[in-house]
Amino acid sequence: MANAATTIDSPSEATIRERIARHAGAARVPDRFKIIADTSDFFRVDYNDVVVLGERAFWIKGYEKEGRFGLDDELKYWVRRAIDLADGTTTILKLVFHEQFETRIGEVAITCFRSPKKEARILDLVADHPNFMHGRWSRDTAGNIIRILEYIPGRRYDEIIAEYGAGHEEYFHRFFPRVLAEYIELVQAIKFLHDHGEKHGDIRRDHIIRDSERQVNRWIDFDYTYRHGESMFGFDLQGLGNILIFLAGRGDVLVPDLYRDQRQLFDTLWGEDLNISYKNRVANLKKIFPYIPDSLNRVLLHFSRGAELYYETTDQMLEDLATAQAALALHTGRGS
Amino acid sequence: MSTQTFGDLSRRDVERHLLVAVDESENSKRTVMYLADFFGGLKDVFITLLTIIPEPSEDFFPTEAARAKWLRDRRAVMEQAMAGYREILRAVGLEDHQIESRIVIRPCASIGAAILEEQEKRRCCIVVVGRRGISHSEEFVFGSTSNHILHHAKNSAVLVVE
Repeated sequence: MANAATTIDSPSEATIRERIARHAGAARVPDRFKIIADTSDFFRVDYNDVVVLGERAFWIKGYEKEGRFGLDDELKYWVRRAIDLADGTTTILKLVFHEQFETRIGEVAITCFRSPKKEARILDLVADHPNFMHGRWSRDTAGNIIRILEYIPGRRYDEIIAEYGAGHEEYFHRFFPRVLAEYIELVQAIKFLHDHGEKHGDIRRDHIIRDSERQVNRWIDFDYTYRHGESMFGFDLQGLGNILIFLAGRGDVLVPDLYRDQRQLFDTLWGEDLNISYKNRVANLKKIFPYIPDSLNRVLLHFSRGAELYYETTDQMLEDLATAQAALALHTGRGS
Repeated sequence: MSTQTFGDLSRRDVERHLLVAVDESENSKRTVMYLADFFGGLKDVFITLLTIIPEPSEDFFPTEAARAKWLRDRRAVMEQAMAGYREILRAVGLEDHQIESRIVIRPCASIGAAILEEQEKRRCCIVVVGRRGISHSEEFVFGSTSNHILHHAKNSAVLVVE
């Protein structure tokens, strides 16, 4: 939860040294380090420095990374792993980085913003919701909103999916009913945001972490927002659709791969079968995996280039997903 | 000559009152020119030029001052565009009292819904919008204001100018 850091006395250097020694051992107390109360210039925050937010002190460790648009391991200089010197837990500190940029999804340009305020607001909103990352926020002495995030032990959900089953057919019949149930839970979590007038803003499959302790999937990184048009949640829904296509296909079914390896299947495809956002990915997966039930494929087709109707709300999508889930249970004999 | 004023709601049901939703685009200009061609010189037509400026979320700006500046700039752009549209209508014989300009700044999840609220409030019998000609993919991500109006308008005709 929020607190006003500036009105509380910060710990002294001696106190900080004593706390580091308590949690890491006297040998690991650095000889020299900066104590930083104003994080406006986040490039100043170096390894082993200590960021103080009121009476709390955070011993700074490495940078976090982001695999966006194929730029794997791109460092996020404003996101730092840190040790909370109050209790020794590992946390993620997100410093303030205002950013506005245009991103393109296929042929569509979207104006995006990075907003610490938004993420802080949502952290408060989802504090008791199991399907989101949790954390609190605090202002530094310059008024910057610093988010103090709980570290989630686990892996990216999409990486786990790729390991289920020896091939698609086994995956689909043995694992997918459970995956679909988990996906529906994730859509319900996004509905929770939308019902409160909030967007996630950056729905991508690598923004879902499988929490290995709580055995639950959790959305992360909701500091992005976007300038919406008539449909406030259209971009979020597009992200949800892309994830569903990925999950149903046990990965992206790519047109160039089909052309190279399965020419007969490639020859059955039309433009309308492709993903509306990414034209090198197949959305009409029933053409590739004929055992996919029609009711599920109809949901996928809402995200195809041939779609005439789009989902405007998560409620509409959840209704169709419930029908698909029931059909899948009949088809596979597995409820979830 | 009609003595109607725009505050005279009691007469709206018997007058020809058009609500024209515009922004600063060429597309909106084309829409106004179309109306000028069609209704120029008629003395019992009333036109409300409406623009909705969705109040931007604080999330889009680092400071409140930046947000206020954005709104000021946006309003200035629309005031200039509205003045131009009014001139187009006056040039075909419509008089000042037949033309109203409204710039509405408000929080809104849907511009289409905000336009229809104005239509209902002002009891306009025709809603006129331009179509931006967005692609299939853009409509998928952003939605379409003209489609929203076509699907949800009540007690009015809808004219979509391409």
